[in-house]
Amino acid sequence: MPMTLTQLVVMALLQIVLLLAFVMMLVPLITFAERKVIAYVQVRLGATRTAGGLWGAQAGRTHKSRTLTGGLNGLMWYLGRVPMLSIFRGLPVFIADAVKLLTKEDIVPEGADKAVFILSPAISVISAFTVFSAVAFAPGALFTFPAWFPIVGGLPFNAFLTDINVGLLFILGISSVGVYGIVLGAWASNSKYPLLGGLRSAAQIISYEVPLTLSLLVPVILTGSLNFNEMARRTATEVHWLAIPLLFVGFFIYTTCAFAETNRVPFDLAEAETELVSGFHTEYTGMKFSFYFLAEYANMILVSALAAGFFLGGHYLLPFGFQTFLMKAGETAWFNQPSILFFLGKVLFLLFVFIWVRATLPRYRYDQLMHVGWKYLIPYTLVLIFVAALIRYIA
Amino acid sequence: MTSPISPFLGVLVLLLVAIALGAIILVASGVLLPKIKPNNPQAEKLAPFECGAPLQQPNARHRYSVKFYLTAMLFILFDVEAAFLLPWAVQYKQNLGSFWIMLAFFATLLVGFIYAWGKGAFEWEK
Repeated sequence: MPMTLTQLVVMALLQIVLLLAFVMMLVPLITFAERKVIAYVQVRLGATRTAGGLWGAQAGRTHKSRTLTGGLNGLMWYLGRVPMLSIFRGLPVFIADAVKLLTKEDIVPEGADKAVFILSPAISVISAFTVFSAVAFAPGALFTFPAWFPIVGGLPFNAFLTDINVGLLFILGISSVGVYGIVLGAWASNSKYPLLGGLRSAAQIISYEVPLTLSLLVPVILTGSLNFNEMARRTATEVHWLAIPLLFVGFFIYTTCAFAETNRVPFDLAEAETELVSGFHTEYTGMKFSFYFLAEYANMILVSALAAGFFLGGHYLLPFGFQTFLMKAGETAWFNQPSILFFLGKVLFLLFVFIWVRATLPRYRYDQLMHVGWKYLIPYTLVLIFVAALIRYIA
Repeated sequence: MTSPISPFLGVLVLLLVAIALGAIILVASGVLLPKIKPNNPQAEKLAPFECGAPLQQPNARHRYSVKFYLTAMLFILFDVEAAFLLPWAVQYKQNLGSFWIMLAFFATLLVGFIYAWGKGAFEWEK
């Protein structure tokens, strides 16, 4: 059924509301998970004191708030007494973080280029959000609007915003724009540490973008498509068995580059505290800082989604093309149905891996970082592409 | 819906929403909230970050290592190469003979890669 322009725009807006709500809710939850996971790795408790703590400094600690009449405080405290739920006792800390960032004084340092200083965090966050328009969370519709629904009644609500045929190219292109935000913000700060951090960050991101793009060429060669849905379906269900080890190796190279692209440990040289205070956003406070923060975590979600989509079997159950064997059991079996839950599960697992690695590995030195990128990862990915092309040639 | 650009409508709408969101938050945080949040600029607070010592060089935009330019040049070289590989990879299934053409392209690229390596373009510590 052809949709009118109004219907298209309204549908897109509804999808965007859900998408941005998903991303913007997931980011604080990741930061909370980060605190908790790193705390447990280091055998400590992490955030526990903000059980409903926004309503008073004594939250969850005074006798009054421990009673059931203590409102949300008391409720959160009682929930925290349940052994499995005790991890959520510090949960409201992300709300406290958000309030703090919103109400913190905005400082524009002396000598800074004011317009660039204010606009560059926005560049980062806009590119980080726009990229998600090509990510498909599930291959089909989540639900269909009932017929009585105004304007979009009877239309399916797709789990992807657009189904463009150059999806991967679009994602790579738009996500590269984010580096402008980092470089311009660093330059505009008129301060040594941000400038050095921004230069390092830019050199690191563009260096690792080459092996990242090249490793993503492996699924492109295997599927012959750039469309997200098409690639996710074919890498999961229609690959030659020889390509399974190839996807396995490609996944690890891709993930290494993804860690460097998002400035995460062990490649967080751009904000190496011991050398550069906090890198390119040293001079940023308040909402402008939180824009960079938001962009970094949104990029983490994005690279996780790409890894899940193209290497870990996308919307299907098994990773690395193993689903191909299951498909012999017939299309109708439950484990052969694509689902948004499989996809989100993989994305969340990869986000956990990001935190896990941060708690485990020390930081690289800058020359080591560049050596790994140029002398190892690029030759490896070139070999991978050659092997992928060879497999397609003989099989 | 048959127009080839109509799928990009969603991209445009998301771009506009993202820009609007960024602008609204920046304006809200920069113009409206200062009425309730602290706004107390002082000379020391506005000075660029330094570890307690007085600032020796007010302008921080100095010359920096030529290695960064070299990295950017190498990036352009290899990213253009990746951009060439993408359309080849998409149509490769229909045109398997292009494997040999790509092999020649790879060989050329490899010569340049080995040359840059031999010249020490990837060395960061001297």
